[in-house]
Amino acid sequence: MPLPPSITQPALAAYTQAVKRGTESPGGDRQNAGPSFGDLLASTVNEAVDAQHKSESISIQAASGQSDLQDVVEAVNAAEISLQTVVSIRDRVISAYQEILRMPI
Amino acid sequence: MDLQDVMSVAASGMKVQGTRLRLVAQNLANANSTGLAPGDDPYRRQTITFDNVLDREIGVELVEVARTGVDPSPFPLHYDPGHPAADPDGYVLKPNVNTLLEMADMREAQRSYEANLNTLALARSMIQRTLDLLR
Repeated sequence: MPLPPSITQPALAAYTQAVKRGTESPGGDRQNAGPSFGDLLASTVNEAVDAQHKSESISIQAASGQSDLQDVVEAVNAAEISLQTVVSIRDRVISAYQEILRMPI
Repeated sequence: MDLQDVMSVAASGMKVQGTRLRLVAQNLANANSTGLAPGDDPYRRQTITFDNVLDREIGVELVEVARTGVDPSPFPLHYDPGHPAADPDGYVLKPNVNTLLEMADMREAQRSYEANLNTLALARSMIQRTLDLLR
């Protein structure tokens, strides 16, 4: 049995309004909210990758006798710590996100 | 980050103690290196001095080797007429290396290296423990 337009019209209007709110308002808020989690992750991952590159190049220099063992230890330590920091933050935020996903609505 | 600067400082301390130990090894190895002919100077003991230097990038005082010099003290005379470098009276100039002094220097280099190593390990474990809070 088809519904009369007097019922479907307001329902359709409400639906489009809800969709519009769903797509527009978070975008508007996000601009005020500062850098997103993705930006944070991208910049810290880049930092960690740079540290890894540095530690690798110093290790290669040490292998050819151009750099001290202490420099290698220092660079590898720094790279390891920055990588661990990124991974810990990522794990933590993702577990929080999953916690939200599991929330019964 | 402060704790990572600690690692830079400790690494610089370890580096200079390594240089110091290298000089001690040279002095000990050459403790009997005399000249080849009469009048030749034997090996002269090498010395090392350290200096603090400001790392402007991270703003901490690192340590580095100010310069390596030589010990100007006189060479001891040793009576050995059969030596090719012996003078007409039969005396040979020996290096001015005192092995006891070198051993003390070596031990100091070792202890100082260990102290810096412990500082580095401590800074590392402090960072690790802090990161463990996120796990």
